[in-house]
Amino acid sequence: MWKYLLKRFALMFPTLLGVAVVTFILIRVIPGDVVELRLAGDRGSVSDEMLNAERIKFGLDQPVWRQFVTWIAGAARLDFGTSMWTGSPIWDEIRLRFALSFQVALMSTIVAVLLAIPLGVIAALRQDTWVDYTVRIFSIAGLATPSFWLGIVFILALLILFKWLPPMVYTPIWVNPWQNLAQLIWPALAVGYRYSAVATRMTRSAMLEVLREDYIRTARAKGLVEKLILSRHALKNAMLPVLTVIAIEFAFLIGGLVVTEQVFNLNGVGLLFVQAVAHRDYTLIQALVMLVAGIFILMNFLMDIMYAWLDPRIRYR
Amino acid sequence: MGHRGLRILALLASFTLVAGTGLVDPAAAQDKPRHGGELVFVVPSEPPSYDAHQEETFGLIHPMAPHYNTLVRVDPFDKTGTKPVPDLAESWNISKDGLIYTFKLHRGVKFHDGSEMTSKDVKASYDKIIFPPAGVKSLRKDAYRVVEVVEAPDPYTVRFRLKWPESSLLLNLASPWNWIYKADLLAKDMHWYEKNVMGTGPFTFVEHVKGSHWVGKKNPNYWDKGKPYLDGYRAIFISASSAQVAAIRGERAHIQFRSFSPAERDSLVQALGPKITVQESPWDCLNFVSMHHEKKPFNDKRVRRALSLALDRYEGSKNLSKITLVRDVGGIQVPGTPWATPPAELEKLAGYGRDINANRAEARKLLKEAGAEGLSFTFKNRGIPHPYEPVGIWLIDQWRQIGVTVKQEFIEASAYHPMLKRGDFEVAMDFQCGFIVEPDLDLPRFLSTSDANYGKHKDTVIDDLFQKQARAMEPEERRKYLRAFEKRLLDEEAHVIYTLQWHRIIPHSSKVKGWTITPSHYLNNQLDTVWLSE
Repeated sequence: MWKYLLKRFALMFPTLLGVAVVTFILIRVIPGDVVELRLAGDRGSVSDEMLNAERIKFGLDQPVWRQFVTWIAGAARLDFGTSMWTGSPIWDEIRLRFALSFQVALMSTIVAVLLAIPLGVIAALRQDTWVDYTVRIFSIAGLATPSFWLGIVFILALLILFKWLPPMVYTPIWVNPWQNLAQLIWPALAVGYRYSAVATRMTRSAMLEVLREDYIRTARAKGLVEKLILSRHALKNAMLPVLTVIAIEFAFLIGGLVVTEQVFNLNGVGLLFVQAVAHRDYTLIQALVMLVAGIFILMNFLMDIMYAWLDPRIRYR
Repeated sequence: MGHRGLRILALLASFTLVAGTGLVDPAAAQDKPRHGGELVFVVPSEPPSYDAHQEETFGLIHPMAPHYNTLVRVDPFDKTGTKPVPDLAESWNISKDGLIYTFKLHRGVKFHDGSEMTSKDVKASYDKIIFPPAGVKSLRKDAYRVVEVVEAPDPYTVRFRLKWPESSLLLNLASPWNWIYKADLLAKDMHWYEKNVMGTGPFTFVEHVKGSHWVGKKNPNYWDKGKPYLDGYRAIFISASSAQVAAIRGERAHIQFRSFSPAERDSLVQALGPKITVQESPWDCLNFVSMHHEKKPFNDKRVRRALSLALDRYEGSKNLSKITLVRDVGGIQVPGTPWATPPAELEKLAGYGRDINANRAEARKLLKEAGAEGLSFTFKNRGIPHPYEPVGIWLIDQWRQIGVTVKQEFIEASAYHPMLKRGDFEVAMDFQCGFIVEPDLDLPRFLSTSDANYGKHKDTVIDDLFQKQARAMEPEERRKYLRAFEKRLLDEEAHVIYTLQWHRIIPHSSKVKGWTITPSHYLNNQLDTVWLSE
């Protein structure tokens, strides 16, 4: 098993390097220039001399390969440089936003898991009954409803019915838990519902498949209690694809909630991503892509560990 | 129509009246200021750095201006935003030959660290703006080319010596970007202010959480005794306009100082009724059409004039003002400001006459004479919804009516300015936004030598008229040159085509008092006169 895990771990690094190279090249291909954008502002008139001086300051006058070597040397020391837009260290730009995005992702995952696993299991056990149909309608509606739209509905409902709006500014949970939850519960519900829809359907189909397996029939023939069969034999095996879906969705939520963050005015990683691209802030875009790619790769690695734990065939390979 | 409909109409009518007539003196109309409370406002952008001398965005001015003073400021109650009044300067005088401006400073002004502000600080700040050392960026140094030297003969006197007389200098010194910094800090590190805050303003700095908010609190030792009225303020950074509207509607914020669209204004008025007050003003921002003078047939002034003659600006004003941020028909200066063209004179310019049929007949004739009948071209527009997209669509429809076929290409915002600079267009939407309505600040981009002359016209007459108006010390003489400049730019040569003046719309909580709209979203953000009624 250790060999298996080490191999998986080692594979993370070439993947990250590939992402770094592709991102570095692609962001320099798209038209636009951080220097012109920053200096032109609302008024749009700056001299070429000033533009060139700024480009030299950011090293943008250097060949792309040299810029990459400088960047990768810094990245190897976990120094991702400073934002070309604000001049602040990249980590300062990301830190607060990451805390918020991580919490929303975590809360959404909790909402999704709490809804999806019981509903998926019940739907599978009561296949083709009214219970199953209700769960399927609920989950299909979740798939069909964009979470940002649901967010807008939440905001309008809160405004019109209760004349109340969630706080506009993020307060860390350890500073004021109530204020924190009052702001983040709404996006977590909006996102968690869509997220749960995917997981519910996956849980249901995985359970249906597993419940037809020979070892379940054997367990029943041996006279095992139904509760034990479901929890120890069926659910544990059905969880493999469900966990994969949950992990991928979780990683996506860290940087992918762009519109939902705008709707709720959340100062998250998704919004920062959009701003960085709009500003052509190369260093920040690069760092954010690496962050999100790193999270995806890490989640993948954690899934590999989970697979090994859940499936003995992998463990003993 | 129900009660709600009538109420909305009444409210709209009342603010239109106030905004349109300009008869109400905001200072006189408001009650005695009340002390206390925290003003919460929305900022759609965020400061890239903290140094106003090197930035161009309102995202810096709105949250940070309350920490600073300038030497002179624009009167916070002047709706035209063109009247200079003292700020750190107590008084000033100008020598008879117009070459020396001497300012006497207020005594007892303290920086937020308790040290005294003197002429040494003013000199150091202006030296940084006008004569920045190598490696220090100053975006507006060219606006002070006339200044030969800044002197500090004693701790409370500052003197500007000019190379030639320039009537606009005083207003230029009221620039909201020219914050006075502490000389000792600049002497240690010219870049100190890029990441730190230390001013003399009515509010001290509390915190900036990136992407989230900015907080300031009342400066208890403010030199202008009795001010500020607020205990503090909180600027919340919100980029999405729907979330900005929701913040005002949900009474999480009192005001947003840039502008809302007409539809957003109407939705707020409908939702909040008397809890909302709307202030409107012509905006010192404008979209105009640049035509590349080195590309045929736009090197022919008959073609350029024809494209301007095709526009029914008055009808366009009526329709576009309902859906986007434009309204007034104006010339080279914002309507209603001191150097603006009177409407009767404006109507004499090509494309500004009221008889649109006659204008379009002339346009077709000019195209025929120029051999450009059935003209077609690509119009490059900036990919920003308001007001670029609706104005672009309107232009295309107007040109279609004289037989011109236009394909519109939207250029993503970050690629737009480089496209203009490269001259990679035949016809493109261009824009400008000013911080004070003043010909010397608004017009240099139309000079042949300007970096922003994207259409690449060469016109020594224009250049000469600009110089003459800038140095004219008598208002009538200056006005005469400005009218000649305008006729040359928009009519005889039609180097560019002006569309409609932007229109600034600020719906804010009725609790907010002591704030007056001006034509610039860069002005009037010091907040020392602002108070909350409850």
